[in-house]
Amino acid sequence: MSTRNGQGGGEEYEHYEAVVVGCGPGGAAAAATLARNGVETLVLERGAEAGSKNVSGGVIYAEKSAPYTIDDLFPDFRAEATERPITHNYIHNIAGEKVKTFDLTEIHENDTEWADAVLRRRMDSWLETRVHELTRETGGGVLTGVRASGLLRDDGEIIGVTTDELEPITADLVVGADGVNSELAREAGLMDWEEPDEWFQGVKAVISMPEGAIEDRFDIAEDEGETHLFSGDLYEGVRGGGFLYTNAETLSIGNVFHLDSIVEERAEVSELLDTLLTHPLLAQWIAGDEYEELEYSAKLVPDSKKVAHPSPTEDRLVLVGDAAGQMQAQGPLIKGMNHAVTAGALVGEAFAVARSRGDRSQAGERYVQSLYDEGVMEKIRPALYDRSRSVTEDRRAASFADRLVGSSVGRAGLDAMMRAGIVERLYNSPRMMQVLPDTATPYATLPTAIAKRHGEPIAEENTVSPPSLEERIGELTYDTDIGNPHIVVEDESWEASGAAVTACPVSAKDFGGGCYREEVVKSNGHEERVVSFDSQPCVECGTCAIVADTHWEHPRGGKGVEFEQG
Amino acid sequence: MTDPNNANDDAEPSANEENVGIDVGEHTIEELETELQDVDDPRVLEGLLDAEKDGKRRQGAQEAIQERMDAVSPPAAAVDAEEEPKEAKYRENAEELTLDPSEYEIAELGPALQDVGAPEELEAIREAEQDGEDRDPVLTLLDSRIEKVEAEDEDTGNEEIDLAEMSVADVANAVRGIDDVAELEDLLDQEEAGEDRDPVGKQIRNRIESVEGSDEEVEERLPPEEEHPHLDHPTADKQYVKALENGEYRDTWVYCETQAGELIDVSVEMLGKARELMDSYNETYDEDERVVAVLIGDDVSRHAETCIAYGADVVVYHEDERLERYQHKAYTELFCDMARWGGAPLDGKGPDEADWRDYDEPRYTVFPATNNGRDLSAQVQAELDSGLASDCSGLYIEDTVISNPVKTGQPGAKKDFERVLHMKRPDFSGFEYSTILCLDNPTREFHPQGASVIPGSFPVPEADGDRDGEVIEHDLRIDEEWLRVSVTDYDRIDEGVDLTGKDVIVCMGRGIGDDPTRGMELGLELADAFENADVGVTRGIVTGSYQFDGHVEQYTEEDRQIGETGQIVEPDVYVAAGVSGAIQHKVGMDDSETVIAINTDPDARVRDFTDYFIEGDLFDVLPTLTEAVESGNPDVEAVAADGGARTDGGRETDDSRGIDGERDGTTEDER
Ligand SMILES: Cc1cc2nc3c(=O)[nH]c(=O)nc-3n(C[C@@H](O)[C@H](O)[C@H](O)COP(=O)(O)OP(=O)(O)OC[C@H]3O[C@@H](n4cnc5c(N)ncnc54)[C@H](O)[C@@H]3O)c2cc1C
Ligand code: SF4
Repeated sequence: MSTRNGQGGGEEYEHYEAVVVGCGPGGAAAAATLARNGVETLVLERGAEAGSKNVSGGVIYAEKSAPYTIDDLFPDFRAEATERPITHNYIHNIAGEKVKTFDLTEIHENDTEWADAVLRRRMDSWLETRVHELTRETGGGVLTGVRASGLLRDDGEIIGVTTDELEPITADLVVGADGVNSELAREAGLMDWEEPDEWFQGVKAVISMPEGAIEDRFDIAEDEGETHLFSGDLYEGVRGGGFLYTNAETLSIGNVFHLDSIVEERAEVSELLDTLLTHPLLAQWIAGDEYEELEYSAKLVPDSKKVAHPSPTEDRLVLVGDAAGQMQAQGPLIKGMNHAVTAGALVGEAFAVARSRGDRSQAGERYVQSLYDEGVMEKIRPALYDRSRSVTEDRRAASFADRLVGSSVGRAGLDAMMRAGIVERLYNSPRMMQVLPDTATPYATLPTAIAKRHGEPIAEENTVSPPSLEERIGELTYDTDIGNPHIVVEDESWEASGAAVTACPVSAKDFGGGCYREEVVKSNGHEERVVSFDSQPCVECGTCAIVADTHWEHPRGGKGVEFEQG
Repeated sequence: MTDPNNANDDAEPSANEENVGIDVGEHTIEELETELQDVDDPRVLEGLLDAEKDGKRRQGAQEAIQERMDAVSPPAAAVDAEEEPKEAKYRENAEELTLDPSEYEIAELGPALQDVGAPEELEAIREAEQDGEDRDPVLTLLDSRIEKVEAEDEDTGNEEIDLAEMSVADVANAVRGIDDVAELEDLLDQEEAGEDRDPVGKQIRNRIESVEGSDEEVEERLPPEEEHPHLDHPTADKQYVKALENGEYRDTWVYCETQAGELIDVSVEMLGKARELMDSYNETYDEDERVVAVLIGDDVSRHAETCIAYGADVVVYHEDERLERYQHKAYTELFCDMARWGGAPLDGKGPDEADWRDYDEPRYTVFPATNNGRDLSAQVQAELDSGLASDCSGLYIEDTVISNPVKTGQPGAKKDFERVLHMKRPDFSGFEYSTILCLDNPTREFHPQGASVIPGSFPVPEADGDRDGEVIEHDLRIDEEWLRVSVTDYDRIDEGVDLTGKDVIVCMGRGIGDDPTRGMELGLELADAFENADVGVTRGIVTGSYQFDGHVEQYTEEDRQIGETGQIVEPDVYVAAGVSGAIQHKVGMDDSETVIAINTDPDARVRDFTDYFIEGDLFDVLPTLTEAVESGNPDVEAVAADGGARTDGGRETDDSRGIDGERDGTTEDER
């Protein structure tokens, strides 16, 4: 660690060539690349260990077309940090108890070098160790339990970060890899947390499986794995879908919904998870008598199609991964970690080049340039989509498409397409997946219609009885920052913040143990419906930052929920 | 492109065989870089690389070795790179000897060039670019790299000294820049094995002498005025004043701090640790050394037995009512006097030689890293002319081998230190742990080896009431000068409401929602009916939006919250009214003797851990309960039982009488 003063910094602060905020895949990739180029790099991670704050579905992809994949940067990654290679992919269209299944392996294999199921605690903590080894060589290292709370400015210009735990730190490069709801991105004015339609919410459960059960029930070998996606009418009109991924000895089962749809439908997200877990289709894999939920978790994900920042840099700050909105959820394909890795490595490279030219301030611009040159931007925010959205998402067009699917003409067309195998091909077309509009048609209407007419009824009975929300919260580990709530509800009225009572994954109507509770306040004979709030059960998903009127921050370093699976 | 000058094959034997024995793991990367300059044999280098890969696996070290390999034998490195395609992306950046610029984007080239260290190679690349794509930015990049590398070369130019090519004068100049004796001795060997010119040997020997001699000079002691002529009142370096020579050191001394007259937890934790340390110490070294507890304050001897029960063999105490509060000067003087007990070097000042001990000063001292303990530890250790490892979280005793010349007295030599207290502490920003050792110098003793310990680092040991120990009173006149600071007034910061000592607690939950103020009033009324009772609340109340009237509002705040993030209570009777029984609430009251729950929901989770479950509306049940208590039946269990409930399956109780359930809204219930 050096104690030089930052370029232009007014006061004497600890200085590093680069400070990377966040030790997820994006931060790890950035830090590793910087360190390998001899850049003195400090990594700040707010979790007690990297991964303890992170949740993903999760499958990590290595794309053939990507300039960097995670195993390029961390050669033992697949052997040490992942759960299972994904070798088969399916989508199930559900109408009541009828199901029509398609094989999606083809689209998954499109541009995929490999894809592995991961659990974030294991993966990110492994990365942390590697990153620490690498960055230590440069005079830096990884500091866990430290939360960057804001940007340090000198005369308006960003020159470093402030933290809750340490003195401010200056750096020639500040990498905001602090994930979704990045406080740094917000403070820099690069991202806002306003519109629910720019986000997805993921909620999942990790379920333990008896030894050998995954191989038996999915009929796969130990080095094979599957993803299953679920769509159709099981979510009562909430736009989104379900997923099931095979890990080494557990399953990750969850839903990803459009946040605006959750709000509109006042959907109870934990109940929607139960809907999936108890569907007869899942009876072939999970059974009530042995059902054991290891962890309930949730996280918001940005919709890169709408929010991937076209130029994620400001002064010495650059953003990578979810912090920059680089999270690609297109139809059933969910890609976030791989883009974060690519972006992180490109940042490292950009800075190394800028430094060798003697002008470090060029790093941000170079990084942005390479996001375009390397085709990252095109993938995550396809111009294609921007163009096609205006037509397909137009409400009239949507309802027409819906009606068409439902009409006899549409049904006949659908039948013909099914016979010709066109539907499966469509699902497997990358172009189709890219332009999937965010209306109900692709998520509910079409899959339901397919399943109704072509699906097979499921005979099995699902005996799973998932734990209550209270039990789910009770199983989580918290290190509560007593007397120091990280979220403050600024407007308690039902109109301003009532949506969070259902949208918050650890709250529900008529449940007294959640973060958001509906309460009726009587004063002078007049009744008012309000929300009361407790930050302690919070799983830091970010939802209420968008859907309620809050002052929202992450807890201080090491505090709050600690995911053991992630 | 290979440099023909370097393309010699690897058959040539290495020039200086001694260096074959480098143990890579022993060297920092910087050291390694220097060492490697002497190794020319690619096979040896390969061995070193393998050793590093099997050992510490430091990227920097591997790169340093690889770089050296490139320098001595370029083609070998290139072949290596191709054998491991998985790392290709990095290999192509890091290990290829030379690179074809046309294969690189500008962005990639920067990092790639970082690994090309030879100016000739860079020139060659530059030429290739000029002949090829001739991109301006690439040429700029190369130029700046070449400039940098050449500058570096000049800096490090004297690292590779080939004596055979040098005149005596050259040698004299070259060796002047070297102050590492080992390196000089290498050169001497090299000369003797080679041309063996007398004057050259002499030059090198002179240099060795002057380097070694300069160490000795440092050891020549100057009086402080001469050593620090620019200071107008130079601090006397205490090594002349008080350090012991050939001191006898024994025992582990533990400063047992009291606050407000009570022994604090960390004191007991340290005693437990000291006990454990000395037990294994005595076994390992076949000794009979003790744990000595030190108590200083007003009326502290009453803690002596406790100290012994937790592991002390001897308790030394000094009590005086003037010592009621911690005083920096007085406490330090007393502690140091105890530690020396009249021994050298403060002749005559302390008490006479004691019969309970026969050594000069303690071997180890341990203090709590509390505000007072930190203050005391620093001053005491300075006064005893030793060092201090502050804020430690781990302690163990071990032998160790040290090669630091300050400690060995001789560069290059190794020295065994026995019975060293290893003091582990989290370093300042928590990166990792450092282990601090306090070792004697050849000319100066550093004892006692002292540490202050972060409270909570060690478990509270089991007390053993049967342990025997010696209790010694220390006697020394307290100089009024030591008490110049006096505390005229003090205040204990209000720590809020303490519910832990109550016999009865009435806890109110969100069940009061229909009329929150009335609900709290009912709870208070019930609590008032008992002798030693109070009201608590669930977190649901603390964080609720209920509007309470002023007179009950104070009872609904965080300082009365019971549970995981509130207070943990264990009263004789716990009444939970309108409480669902969340697990985080349960952990705050689960050890209560008898639990009575009032809830409208017969499936409420609280029922799983109650003795009496009253299914009913708290607005009805509480008043009747209060009435029953006030009507003079002081037997709480009986009241509860008479109040309309029977024992519930959740917990075992002796008293499970049936009831005459006549109260409204109260139904009998049995599971
Ligand atoms: C990290 C963390 C830390 C926590 N720490 C604490 C803690 O320290 N302390 C704590 O208490 N909780 C804690 N909680 C849990 C807290 O949020 C619980 O949810 C809370 O205890 C619930 O309060 P409650 O029982 O009052 O409310 P509810 O759960 O809403 O229960 C109200 C109960 O009242 C009953 N009821 C309703 N009307 C009536 C009536 N008229 N008469 C009788 N009964 C009625 C209902 O049937 C229900 O059972 C923590 C949670 C987390 C995640
Ligand atoms: S309180 Fe907000 S951030 Fe926390 S879990 Fe609920 S919705 Fe998510």
